[in-house]
Amino acid sequence: MGRRKLAQPAPDRLFAMSTAYVTMETSMGLTSRGAAAIVFQPLATADFDSIVREMEEVVRATASDSGTTVTSSDDPYGFRWLLLRGSDFDDLVVGINAVSSALEAGGYGDRVLCSVFAFDDERSKRPVYWIYNYKRGAFYPFAPAAGAEQRDNERELVLKAQIGKELPVEQELERWFPLWGTPI
Amino acid sequence: MASRKSFGRDNGLQARMLLTIFLLGLVYALLVAVLIAAGAGAVTIAIVAAGLFAVQLFTSDKIALASMGARAVTPQEAPQLHAMVDRLCVQANIPKPRVAIAQTPMPNAFAVGRSPKTATVCATTGILQLLEPAELEAVLGHEITHVVNRDVVVMTIASFFASIAAFITQFGFLFGGGFGGNNRNNSNNNGFFVVILVSAAVYVISFLLLQALSRYREFAADRGSAIITGRPSALISALLKIDGGMARIPQRDLRAASSELAAFYIFPPKAKQGLTNLFSTHPPLSARIERLERLEAQLQGTT
Repeated sequence: MGRRKLAQPAPDRLFAMSTAYVTMETSMGLTSRGAAAIVFQPLATADFDSIVREMEEVVRATASDSGTTVTSSDDPYGFRWLLLRGSDFDDLVVGINAVSSALEAGGYGDRVLCSVFAFDDERSKRPVYWIYNYKRGAFYPFAPAAGAEQRDNERELVLKAQIGKELPVEQELERWFPLWGTPI
Repeated sequence: MASRKSFGRDNGLQARMLLTIFLLGLVYALLVAVLIAAGAGAVTIAIVAAGLFAVQLFTSDKIALASMGARAVTPQEAPQLHAMVDRLCVQANIPKPRVAIAQTPMPNAFAVGRSPKTATVCATTGILQLLEPAELEAVLGHEITHVVNRDVVVMTIASFFASIAAFITQFGFLFGGGFGGNNRNNSNNNGFFVVILVSAAVYVISFLLLQALSRYREFAADRGSAIITGRPSALISALLKIDGGMARIPQRDLRAASSELAAFYIFPPKAKQGLTNLFSTHPPLSARIERLERLEAQLQGTT
């Protein structure tokens, strides 16, 4: 593609998850695990730190009404996870969007890697994740399977077919990168 | 001419098969040209051609199996493989073919044989290790659909007719009054070379048409597998694994991939298919996956 500028996140398409969840719950056998996360690459600057802290405050403030909690943790790759937990799925979506907006407003949109929504799969009795890639503005499913770093490609392809047009889905399968060891 | 309906794109093998099939057909055509030039009558030529065709029809599957080093296995030797074939044959409503395994790390599966009763379905050890059970079953479903559709026979007959086309051209030239009517002797040499050239040209065109027919039947086998197993996505998943190319769903963690800009901004351009497709017996992977995805969407009711 030859683009030199790093793409800015596309938050509006994220909100499709709120409506898509209705379909997931009613006809796809997926139930929210009450957890979502946004993954970003922290910068070792004071400016970035303060933005992250501010953002955590904002999310805590908006989330506390619905009982959504916010925690953060760093992973072995050096990425930071902001983990939102709460029973109201729409609040999770709003919370995730608040974080990405804050980062973008601070000029750090390009540090955002993705956001992740966690579900329980009635059929496979295993967690299923929908990962949102901000740079591509599209979701893709990730269904880890039994065994170390195994994924159920067939289940993922079925989920793609089932969600149809309800979500903007990443069409290039070679971009469905997994997130091994997701903490939600 | 293809005596084997195989599953994936094994480029080295495919190139060799293609060349063999092409040369074999050319030999057919040239043999007949030689017979005609030698003054053999139409009846003699017909008998020779029919004889060769019969030999091909009745022995090509044994030759194909032997060339792959395939060995028939009993249900005791390969219980899971046999169980899968059993299930698929019940679904497809055909008698169970013989089951064979070929010892090679190349992942592939193929079916040989004129009819369901005389057919053998073969899987390589490579594919048995590579695929999940559902994926393997989808691949076997594809092969069994070839058996059901009698693709080996269809393709052999089609290729025979391609040779016939070449023969007719040759006859047409020599007996249709092309070279000064009754006085064949004068223009015999020139006429002979023109006959060779034209019948080779006719043969090439027929060959390309045969390849197109083969590709169509591959789509049909994919569809058949989806119908028999009810799991088109299992076949997609299998195809991606067997292809082993850039198209597959990645194992690499998103965080590792993002550290290289290439993962996000510059993706290796899909190799141009173009002319190679004319000569390929299989449709391109992306076309096969696209159709299977449509089938899955239909199945899920989301088209």
